[in-house]
Amino acid sequence: MERIGLEGSIAIAEAVRLADVDVVAAYPITPQTHIVERLAEYVANGKLNANYIPVESEHSAMSACLGSSAVGARTFTATAGQGLELMHEVLYVAASSRLPIVMAVANRALSGPLSVWGDHSDVMAARDCGWIQIFAENAQQVFDLILCAFRIAEDSKVLFPTMIHLDGFHLSHVIEPLYLLEQEKINQFIPKYNHPYALNPDKPLTIGAFGLPSVYTEAKKSQDIALCDSKKIILDVWKEFGKLAGRHYLPVEKYKADDAETLLLTMGSYSETAMIAIDKMRENGEKVGLLRLRLWRPFPFDEFRQAASGAKTLVVLDRALSFGGPPGPVCSEVQSALYSLETKPKVISFVGGLGGRDMSASTFENIIRRGIKKSDEGVVSDFEMIEVRE
Amino acid sequence: MMENVITIGKNKITTEDYLAPGHRACLGCGEELAVRLVAKALGKDIIIVNATGCTEIVSSPFPYTSWRVPWIHTLFENTSAVASGIESGINALKRKGRYHSNTKVVAMGGDGATADIGIQALSGALERRHNFIYFCFDNEAYMNTGIQRSSATPFGASTTTSPAGSASIGQTTWKKNMPAIAAAHDISYVATASPSYPFDLITKVNKAKEIDGPAYIHVLAVCPTGWRAPMDSAIELGRLAVTTGVFPLYEIEDGKYTLNVNTAQLRPVEEYLKLQGRFRHLSPENISFIQERVKAEYNKIREKTIKNL
Amino acid sequence: MNLDKNALIEIRWHGRGGQGAVTSAELVALAAIGEGKYAQAMPSFGPERRGAPVLAFNRVSNVDPIRARAPVSEPDIVVVLDPGLMYIADVTSGLKKGGVLVLNSPKSLDDIKSEFSGDWKLAVVNGTAIARETLGVPIVNTTMIGALVKVCEVIKLGSLEEPIEERFGARAKNNIKACQKAYDDVVIAEPAGISASKPRTFQAEVLPKWQEMLPGCVVVEPGNASEYRTGDWRSQYPEYNYDKCIKCGLCYMFCPEGCIEPKGDDYFKVNLYYCKGCGICAKECPKTAITMIEES
Repeated sequence: MERIGLEGSIAIAEAVRLADVDVVAAYPITPQTHIVERLAEYVANGKLNANYIPVESEHSAMSACLGSSAVGARTFTATAGQGLELMHEVLYVAASSRLPIVMAVANRALSGPLSVWGDHSDVMAARDCGWIQIFAENAQQVFDLILCAFRIAEDSKVLFPTMIHLDGFHLSHVIEPLYLLEQEKINQFIPKYNHPYALNPDKPLTIGAFGLPSVYTEAKKSQDIALCDSKKIILDVWKEFGKLAGRHYLPVEKYKADDAETLLLTMGSYSETAMIAIDKMRENGEKVGLLRLRLWRPFPFDEFRQAASGAKTLVVLDRALSFGGPPGPVCSEVQSALYSLETKPKVISFVGGLGGRDMSASTFENIIRRGIKKSDEGVVSDFEMIEVRE
Repeated sequence: MMENVITIGKNKITTEDYLAPGHRACLGCGEELAVRLVAKALGKDIIIVNATGCTEIVSSPFPYTSWRVPWIHTLFENTSAVASGIESGINALKRKGRYHSNTKVVAMGGDGATADIGIQALSGALERRHNFIYFCFDNEAYMNTGIQRSSATPFGASTTTSPAGSASIGQTTWKKNMPAIAAAHDISYVATASPSYPFDLITKVNKAKEIDGPAYIHVLAVCPTGWRAPMDSAIELGRLAVTTGVFPLYEIEDGKYTLNVNTAQLRPVEEYLKLQGRFRHLSPENISFIQERVKAEYNKIREKTIKNL
Repeated sequence: MNLDKNALIEIRWHGRGGQGAVTSAELVALAAIGEGKYAQAMPSFGPERRGAPVLAFNRVSNVDPIRARAPVSEPDIVVVLDPGLMYIADVTSGLKKGGVLVLNSPKSLDDIKSEFSGDWKLAVVNGTAIARETLGVPIVNTTMIGALVKVCEVIKLGSLEEPIEERFGARAKNNIKACQKAYDDVVIAEPAGISASKPRTFQAEVLPKWQEMLPGCVVVEPGNASEYRTGDWRSQYPEYNYDKCIKCGLCYMFCPEGCIEPKGDDYFKVNLYYCKGCGICAKECPKTAITMIEES
């Protein structure tokens, strides 16, 4: 396969085209607009044989996806920030109805003030909606992970909608080198979509009956167990993809982490910047390493505990915060995951990179060192917001 | 299997009911009667998208369903968007050789789901020209949740959020004209209907089925509970709504208007209003006002039908 | 039942949607609160509509604030507002030993005893007749409180006046009268040693375990709601006079339940399993060939 240069957004559009999606519901919003524009072009030029629904809002975008997925059509949409918020209630229904919609989210800060730039506040607001959620760090990954998403979501033992998160602007609008994948390989890798409970007059069924208190609990347990059980299939699919394409994905990626005394945890494309910091500090003899959380939901408890428990200090960078609440959302989850362990690192929380605020490698060096210092001194503030002009 | 058909007058009516009995509607529910008749006319090769509301609740308490056709309910305001997705999905699958029937997509929503919270999605779906039928079952308030007003609540009606009192006559605005809004999207078929005129309703459903594009049918769904009327009055009230001109029965086919029940002389609206507790508080002046406005609105439609000639 | 002054009393009301069972509970609670007691009125939080069986609950205590919020599962007192309900719902379920069962029924105490006696006080009054006479409508929610109070002084009868006036305005006077009449007329039998008569078996609803829920909670049996007997809701049913019937089919067209069926020879008949007794068919029949008959 030829090595080409593509913007993250376009890499996604390519993956969607190669996956032979049947329906695209499209509503533009910065910074994902390039995705839906390119898909419109593909449909208009006959390169993608799909029905393109230019809906009138994101709420309708996700609602249209519910319909098309329910009838057995492979379905895709993309959104960001406010758009993800507007479709919020529909997200829950997509998951509880077990409809394997795939959605790319170009992570964007939530208003107010209005910000079109990237952070993870939109992701964190959608934390509990029941979707499978996966983070990409570069254009190759978004391409690969979108393909895998169709395979995972539509698996008859999964049937959950899946979000692929990519950083708004920093990944969506940046050209990088990547390899596509041959159509024949993709056709083999992603079988035709076949929902066991699709809407069809031949087998009339009812989707969306209302739940009295006597059944709601059981419905939710069933859903939660199924989501947790889907982790196994996610890992199997990534293994299979690894054999197919030679690129391997794990729920928790490690970078120079095995003998690290101090670990930094990041998610998304800033992870790559963090790697520069790790390299520099390692050259300096500092035993630091990086954990990159790729699988956000279902949370990979086992893999995370295994990766983190040996370190003395774990510095977590959140790109969102929960107002008035505990340390950044990711840090809270991480602490919760570690709580039951006898041996666990001290966890230090930093919040930064909000609303598109750039983070350089030296910023990461600083927070790692600051984290170590706080850990050594036993200073446990709830969290520290970095690089605030004061 | 031969479908059973009975003959009523010159009408052949299937005895199949795609809305099964055992549903939890109030005694004498005009909406459920309308849905039952519509379902009969639609037949089996359909997929229904239903908004949250009376019909949805009474027909689908898990683990039971009254539906004998494929049916999906998700949320309150997105019926038309879900329908758009289903229609597009079927379309794409057919093109790719993976779906083999001419399934009609049908959206059903109450007045709240249509004129209020769902109007955006409806407008979008009509503008995009999806091939589906949208049925508004209008019982003139948010009945499922206990009789709160909607923009389809008629002027002067008392609801729990527009109660009549010493400082208010109840609903202070005129009923939103949804058929006109639908027609403004330039769609091929718009109609009003009432189960009190069941054969007219069925004819309209059959016409809508043939449209290759969006069709909108606004059905007056008499709610004895919410309108504070006797439980056996649904048909009578529907008839009076039509014959007083409060709810004219008409069609707009490619812009051409036809009045289906063209009464030379409209009955006084008071005959209709006095049977309903929700209008009990109205003064003679209020009723005059309503009478004038009803006449004016009716004449607007009549003029449009005359222009056709 | 001798009420311990400091006991928590729990009441369960059985009614039909739209017939004011919740109002009964609310009036009792308001009256109790007016007396300085602690009280709670709770509806069953369901989407049940007019005619469907519904429940309402009260808790009353002289002494302690009420903290429980779950439905009452072991009532001290059960009041059944509708004469038909005791035959379709297990009204004595959970009724405490030595408790009270108050029934609205036109039947005599002896007849009722043979069907419903048990380890509880039995009280019977023809609430429907009283309501019809005093209020002009067969709505018994205020009437039956009178009967309840006579059998068990949860509240004083007089304490109901203010809440009823507040709630009913101009119609308060007659409601209080109806209450008083039921108080005067109710007949009471002491607890029998053992439960009488043919035990009525009520099918417990079988709900799915979480492992049995299909993905997305889909329901794959089309129209399985037809198992549900909406006929239990009615208090009247249609009777055909086939001599008058002209087989126009309008009754068939106008039934919201779809429970009028062709019966051969082009006539129609009603399926009483589903008929809710709305009366549309009788009202719309052009030949008045259908009459609505009250359920006995």
